[in-house]
Amino acid sequence: MLYETKRSLFRPLGIILKWSILLFFLLFTFVPLGWLVLSSFKTNFEFETNPFALPAVWQFGNYVKAIQISGLPRLFFNSIVVSSFSTVLNLLVTAMAAFVLSRLRFPFQNAILTTLTAGVLIPIIALMVPYFSIIRALGLYDTLWGLIVTYASINIPISVFLLHGFMRTLPRELEEAAVMDGCTLFQRFYRIVLPLSQLGIVTAGTFVFLYSWNEFLYAMLLTSSVASRTIQLGIRFFTSQFFIDYTAMYAAIVITILPSVVVYILFHDKIVRGLTSGAVKG
Amino acid sequence: MKRRGTFLLVAALVLSMAGVLFAGGAKEQKEIVLNFPSFWVGQDSKAGPVAELITKFNADNAGKIKIVVEENPSPDPYRTKINASLAAGAVPDLFIFNPDPTSFQYYDGEILMDFTEELKGEWAKDFQEGYIQASTKKGRTKTVPYEIGITPIWYNSELFKKAGISEFPKTFDEFWVACDKLKAAGIVPTSQMTGGVNAWTSMLWYSHILASIGGPDVWNRPLTHPQYVEAAKILLRLYSDGNTTKDAVGGDAGVSGGHYLAGRTAIFINGPWYIGRAKKDAPAVHAATQLAFAPAVKGGTYGGLIGFQLSNLAAANTKDQAKREATLKFFRWMTKPENVKMISERSGAMFALKYQLGDNVDPLLKRFVEISNQAKFIVPHFQSQYPVHVTQELGQAIGAMVLGKATPEEFVQFLIRANK
Repeated sequence: MLYETKRSLFRPLGIILKWSILLFFLLFTFVPLGWLVLSSFKTNFEFETNPFALPAVWQFGNYVKAIQISGLPRLFFNSIVVSSFSTVLNLLVTAMAAFVLSRLRFPFQNAILTTLTAGVLIPIIALMVPYFSIIRALGLYDTLWGLIVTYASINIPISVFLLHGFMRTLPRELEEAAVMDGCTLFQRFYRIVLPLSQLGIVTAGTFVFLYSWNEFLYAMLLTSSVASRTIQLGIRFFTSQFFIDYTAMYAAIVITILPSVVVYILFHDKIVRGLTSGAVKG
Repeated sequence: MKRRGTFLLVAALVLSMAGVLFAGGAKEQKEIVLNFPSFWVGQDSKAGPVAELITKFNADNAGKIKIVVEENPSPDPYRTKINASLAAGAVPDLFIFNPDPTSFQYYDGEILMDFTEELKGEWAKDFQEGYIQASTKKGRTKTVPYEIGITPIWYNSELFKKAGISEFPKTFDEFWVACDKLKAAGIVPTSQMTGGVNAWTSMLWYSHILASIGGPDVWNRPLTHPQYVEAAKILLRLYSDGNTTKDAVGGDAGVSGGHYLAGRTAIFINGPWYIGRAKKDAPAVHAATQLAFAPAVKGGTYGGLIGFQLSNLAAANTKDQAKREATLKFFRWMTKPENVKMISERSGAMFALKYQLGDNVDPLLKRFVEISNQAKFIVPHFQSQYPVHVTQELGQAIGAMVLGKATPEEFVQFLIRANK
């Protein structure tokens, strides 16, 4: 009886605690985003003098300015092309690599895997000069292909890591049965392993897409004309040596984060499932 | 028959010679295209006038030289890109050189065009005293001095009047008294900041205090010299007792400048490039702004100013004489006193060249020129004396000192460690 009373007393406390924690993280996540959106409707003077106040007059013109000054539509299109192609190219290469490394047995297999995935630990800023030299030597400087190849390459370690972790959990019996039915090595890959690795592919693909969408440093390093630039460079059109047009820049940022949000909304269940299934089975 | 053969041979020779000559002529007329990655684009105050100058240059040299601007609007990533290009040996035809100790290392190789001889001749007469020398390392001048900046103290004379202060203090003893009067009138004395990549406003305060202690030779002393601790103690006081805003720790240039423009703080430091911003967003503050030298520390010098080279012009070294001539022609055009005057009047920027501003320029810009002429000495700021990572550490170290996690002595130790 006493136990029941205590339990009924603690239950609401537990619910309050749970919701308090959830609300805290909700606020922690959404307040900066809300502040960003709010700031994008202010004047720079209002932003600098009263950063948390509502705008006196909502400055929708900041969005017009964001689109006009930085040539956002073209950069937006370039970003979609670069992000999509680099994701496809990366997955094409890494899915095959992960298949071989996870499903076959051959000498130095672990050494190759470790070498490939160790790339995750290298800061990309350290690779600027070599990438710059390679892309110039290939004649890809200031082209979208230069960025596509670079982003696909930079993300090889993380994609191999994710896909290898996923593919090695698939039951071997399926492939053995396929071999009995006369499947070749390539058929084993694209008829059996690839369809079953859908979650892992979506997870790795989302990482590559978001990375390519948000990347700035290499986009700036490897391009010189608007024709081959991506949206992250457009945001920088609002910063100059001694002045930052914060509010127009925030308007541009709000526009640029929309695709990332859409990609996440469309694939979030697969991303979460992909990550957790890899973690549990791995 | 023999004559006919000789005639044909001579004719063929003449024709081939003519061919060579015409080919040479055609080569001479071939347009030289010089790529110019630049951050004087987009929202930069110099973007408009610089673009006009380049357009005019291209029109005047149509068919011979063409300058193609590659827009890189943000200066910090621009420098990263230029450094990566220099390290890879792929030097842009023309570029804006950041005259800091890290970038001057590129003088050692053969990748930069050398202007030493040209800048010893007639061209040198267009430049103000000292700037060519400052751009010369080991006897070679491989960049052309261009944009400069001075950063005197800005103060709001209306707020000073409200607090009963008639003129800007000349010593720090007088300064603290003025701060108390401002606080009593409900005004925060100074704008400060530890954020941004270099804690700009506070870095300039620190430089001013050090200049007062060390005079013109301030930067000849190593970081272990007691002047750095002495200056840190004064900087700490600027952050204490309500002498600055509560958001100064972590605040960036927007916070520091925003408080001054909103009339919340009475004292601020920045260069002439900020005039346009003040005029546009806070005309009353702009009208009330006066300039002054920083107060002198006890036993220190009054009348020193922080001034520095912001940007030099640089080019890729080349064996192609025509390309070299084209580069020189363009740089001479950009440094022509009347062209520089036009950029200065329209943007508020200052240049390392000799020019007279017209009568219709902003009165505050004129005061910048006046105070520059009145200065007993001009020394660069702290940032220009140390590698980038030391300046980046400065903001963190100020924050630690202000929050009581480090003493002024430990603050200097942070800088010494970062400099190793």
